[in-house]
Amino acid sequence: MKVDIASHPRLEQTLGALLHYGTLLASSVIASGLALSLGVGATGLRVATAGLVLFILLPVVRVAAMLILFLRAREYKFGAIAALVMSIILLSFFLGTP
Amino acid sequence: MNGSLELWLFAVALGTSLLGGLLGMASGIFIVPILTIFGRIDLHTAIGASLISVIACSCAGAAPFLRDRLTNIRLAILLETATTLGALCGVFVAGLIPPKYLFVIFALILLLSAQQMAARRKEPPRAELPRAKLAGAILSGAWDRDLGYAVQRLPLGMALMYGAGLISALLGIGSGVLKIPAMDTALRLPIKVSSATSNFMIGVTAAASAGAYFARGEILAPVAAPIALGSVVGAVLGARILMKVPNDKLRLMFVCILVILSAQMMLAAFGINLIEAAP
Repeated sequence: MKVDIASHPRLEQTLGALLHYGTLLASSVIASGLALSLGVGATGLRVATAGLVLFILLPVVRVAAMLILFLRAREYKFGAIAALVMSIILLSFFLGTP
Repeated sequence: MNGSLELWLFAVALGTSLLGGLLGMASGIFIVPILTIFGRIDLHTAIGASLISVIACSCAGAAPFLRDRLTNIRLAILLETATTLGALCGVFVAGLIPPKYLFVIFALILLLSAQQMAARRKEPPRAELPRAKLAGAILSGAWDRDLGYAVQRLPLGMALMYGAGLISALLGIGSGVLKIPAMDTALRLPIKVSSATSNFMIGVTAAASAGAYFARGEILAPVAAPIALGSVVGAVLGARILMKVPNDKLRLMFVCILVILSAQMMLAAFGINLIEAAP
């Protein structure tokens, strides 16, 4: 089977772009929240907190992206491993919540 | 709010992330001691902010490594099963251990890091590709032939990674102190590959525990937000100055700093703080 490399961007590039733009988005939300908080304290801090949540979710989204990308590339073993990591993270979120 | 605490936190995160990147360590190992000792910030709040810094450094620094294909994403996701499981356990243990003992554990980890920094990292011996049968079972076809290295002693590596995840969730650090021996000694990866793969993994490991810290109200925006921004800027700048091996004087200086921080963290376990509050 011949795979057309050009139309099949490497997983690494997709993940790199996801993390790059995700970092930009989370940082801009945090920065605007901090800027706001110098004026209107409470609202600004809420915005900054939303940015922090984005940062916490970004690696989780990365694992979800790997799950999808591995499945699409028919690397089912690694898709299953990604699903396992995903479920451990979700378990930690739910069990760790008081 | 006058902004001076925020500026101080931003500067601390920028400096530690920049230096951490240059020294091949995560920023967390410096951030928690600095926030608790100099900033007189509550230990759990400092750990929560440090986890955010670890995530920010990991995400902000990942793209160049991925583009150069230094990151082994398949090995990373496999090892992440161990680190996230460790983090899951660490989240529970962290709630049970009194801060006093957390300070003691932190002091010991700082000493271990000092010892690791004093003994310079050596490039592990190249594996003979055909003999790398161990990882073959799971990772067969997982590395491209052009990578030119093979993953060895995977079970030992996984066990060390579990420990790294546990310590990461407990202390809010990236746990380079356990990942470096896991990657160099057990898995025998080339240093550049292990740095890139470790950087890729620490974000997920930290996120696994950060969710629980956030739910417990231990990630506070006034502390964690400036830390996040400083970390991103530090990590991006660190990647520009990229991978210069630190000279011996710089290493010696950091060995001393780590030992001093370790001693002060040990004293902090007994409620003694010899250092003036900073901000």
